[in-house]
Amino acid sequence: MAFGFRRPFHPRSGNRFIVNLGDRERAVVRAVCEDLLGLLEDPDAQPLLRRVYPVAHADDAEVDAAYQEMVHEELVGSRRSVLEQIVATAEATELDREQLDAWMIGLNTVRLVLGTRLEVSEQGQPELEADDPDVVAWAVYEFLGGIVETIVRSLATSD
Amino acid sequence: MTQPGRLSDAPIDVRDPDIDETLDVDRPWIVLVWNDPINLMSYVTFVLQKVFGYSHEKAEAMMLEVHNNGRSVVSSGTREKAEFDVFRLHEHGLWATMQQD
Repeated sequence: MAFGFRRPFHPRSGNRFIVNLGDRERAVVRAVCEDLLGLLEDPDAQPLLRRVYPVAHADDAEVDAAYQEMVHEELVGSRRSVLEQIVATAEATELDREQLDAWMIGLNTVRLVLGTRLEVSEQGQPELEADDPDVVAWAVYEFLGGIVETIVRSLATSD
Repeated sequence: MTQPGRLSDAPIDVRDPDIDETLDVDRPWIVLVWNDPINLMSYVTFVLQKVFGYSHEKAEAMMLEVHNNGRSVVSSGTREKAEFDVFRLHEHGLWATMQQD
């Protein structure tokens, strides 16, 4: 992947996709998903998760609270399900369409949380000192952006 | 034997036009997607295609409206349909809200 010689998710026949990722890339994918699975259970993490459980009724807090109560458990279950699918398939050399779709959704959710923590804006990445602890978080954020982008391209061009 | 399109075979509209107190309930709901700095443009386009079955052209036009104008109406219908659409969009991490038109 590093030199762009191989497509990281290469469509082949039968709605299957070859995964060309190195061990370290797979380790990152697995680790961020395990991290987020942990955060979902952490009551103190809720401010970080505001993009994970967005407001549905922006103009009526009471109606929104009722909506959130109705869907929250299902949304948590859906999040957990895709993240667990990624962890279970992090070492797979081949994924089917449904599994790759789970990778796309789950890794995009990780981006939402990382982006919230990094306070990502339209201005993009701020100037950081080399020893800034956010350097690593930004690198992971950008890496996941590349992964999501290439998954979208593979899924969209192999209908 | 019935002929296709014969008038007497048309479904009868049983709604009573005098009952108007349901008007507010019947006002359609719209689902909006809002601009955010995190979701990728290609991802938003693809999710709109996947969730709603829109063509790439239609989904991309909506995504560009979100990007340029801050928001776009992506679907409309009953409250139940809007809630389902919002849920599906939230599952995919899009910043979607619903309101009565």
